[in-house]
Amino acid sequence: MRLDAVTRTYDMGHVKVQALRGISMAVEEGEFVAIVGPSGSGKTTMMSILGCLDRPSTGTYQITGNDIGSLGDDALARIRSRTIGFVFQSYNLLPGTSAIENVATPLLYQGVSRRDRSNRAGAALERLGLGERLTHEPTELSGGEQQRVAIARALVTDPAVILADEPTGNLAVQQGLEVLQLFRDLHASGRTIVLITHNPDVAEVATRRIHLLDGRVVEEERAA
Amino acid sequence: MNAVELLRLALSRLRRGRLRAALTMLGIVIGVASVVALVGVGRGTTANITASLNALGTNLLTISPSGRFGGTTTLTTGDATAIAGVDGVVAVAPEDQASAVVATSATNTTTTSIVGTSADYAYVRAYSVWQGTFLTTATTEGSLRVAVLGATVATDLGLGAEAVGSTVSINGLPFEVVGILQPKGGSGFADPDNEVLVPLGAVQKYFVGGDTLRTIGVSVADGADMQTTRDAITQLLRVRHGITATGTDDFTIFDQSQLLSVTDAISGTLTLLLGGIASIALVVGGIGIMNIMLVSVRERTREIGIRKALGARGRDILRQFLIEALTLSLIGGFVGVLVGLAVSAFIGRIAGWGFIFDPSTVVIATVFSMAVGIVFGVWPARQAARLDPVAALRYE
Repeated sequence: MRLDAVTRTYDMGHVKVQALRGISMAVEEGEFVAIVGPSGSGKTTMMSILGCLDRPSTGTYQITGNDIGSLGDDALARIRSRTIGFVFQSYNLLPGTSAIENVATPLLYQGVSRRDRSNRAGAALERLGLGERLTHEPTELSGGEQQRVAIARALVTDPAVILADEPTGNLAVQQGLEVLQLFRDLHASGRTIVLITHNPDVAEVATRRIHLLDGRVVEEERAA
Repeated sequence: MNAVELLRLALSRLRRGRLRAALTMLGIVIGVASVVALVGVGRGTTANITASLNALGTNLLTISPSGRFGGTTTLTTGDATAIAGVDGVVAVAPEDQASAVVATSATNTTTTSIVGTSADYAYVRAYSVWQGTFLTTATTEGSLRVAVLGATVATDLGLGAEAVGSTVSINGLPFEVVGILQPKGGSGFADPDNEVLVPLGAVQKYFVGGDTLRTIGVSVADGADMQTTRDAITQLLRVRHGITATGTDDFTIFDQSQLLSVTDAISGTLTLLLGGIASIALVVGGIGIMNIMLVSVRERTREIGIRKALGARGRDILRQFLIEALTLSLIGGFVGVLVGLAVSAFIGRIAGWGFIFDPSTVVIATVFSMAVGIVFGVWPARQAARLDPVAALRYE
């Protein structure tokens, strides 16, 4: 993943809001990077662009060799489908849909057959210790369990990058720590992880931290 | 994503919101049901009228003198005999008519019309005999005093099967009853069963005098030849009546099949009109679907955002919502067809024309409800497909 002088300007009627003001950075394969900053620093916009949900206004963003600015909506959907696994602060599980179906949904959009979907989704949930909860709906699960379902959903397609936006934001301390431990384990097994947070303590788990302020990179540090 | 996956998704979604789905479908159900029922009723009416008209005789030409009210009756027995020789004519029934009192005793009487005719009358006017025999060539040529009673007359006089062979008096003259006719039922015009048939010669001799005719019924072999046969008869009668090239006909020929085609056209238009009015209900039902789908897109904005983040393309979302609308309208259409058929069967039973099942109605109703689903589902579905994933994910 490589950002080169990326800006993103939102047109809010009369005012133009510059969320990102020229960001250049790269994330290499197998890295565990945290993007840290207070609210309003452009974190969410970064997440949208890194996750191919949005395109830069100027500058270029390349992921696995594809230049996002030059791609159409369908091509972006394809990149999201094949290369990115999202984990959101509010879990964003599909309501009224069982855990296993939630986890299977990304595979549905890859055109995986029904049987393979349920096998792979079941296996992903097993790995996260949710083997007993396959048919539970989100409302029947605790926050920590919901976030683990969301992580299983992000992992099920075996994506190149896991993109986590405040994954511990809605969790109790103990559950949050468990989730962070999960990310550490995933990194240890060779995944590329980008963690977006406002909390410097959470960012501690990453091997590299990039600090954002007012749409600019203000500081970069590597873990010892 | 293939259609089966989408259908599964749509069905599970509709299962979760059963009440809403049912209410949404109700509009389509009512629309389709009223189209099916009204078209069914229209067809029933048409079939009923057609059957009544056919009961008057198929391929029937009725010739009557045009100067009837002027007092002169120009048609003669000779005309009838001549017409029998025209190409394409299978049977000719000359008819003369008088009103008379028929009695079995001094107190048991009925007033009816006495029709003098030939043995061909039964064929031309599509009567069949219930008991005994019809007039025969022998009885008509001999102008014998025999009578065939219409069903109404027999009922009025309280005569049953045993009356064949007995004697009735017509205007005081004894006639032997040789047969009783099957009832034809009302045709909407005069009661075709309220008449007594006797040999033409007998009517002319005892009740009317002279050899003029009230009408001549002509049966044509092939319905396609009606016009040519009619023209040939016109030509023949003009010559026989000595009408010059510029003179007007002193007779008119009435073509049963024309009445039939006019009736068909009228009732066809009526059916179309009824169906058209009913399809307004279908459109209203479609708007109901659109309304609910738009609400649904709004409510599920976040879901759409999530799906897009998980790799759904715009067209995956479009199809998902379109299939949902289509499922609603198709299930609604199916239920509507069943309700509509039930209603038209019920009305048919009450009206007495039975139940006419027309598969094409079902096909048309299904196609229509699909079209409604697509037309009214496509806009909400496009709205859903076009949502910006970033905004959709942030939507609360």
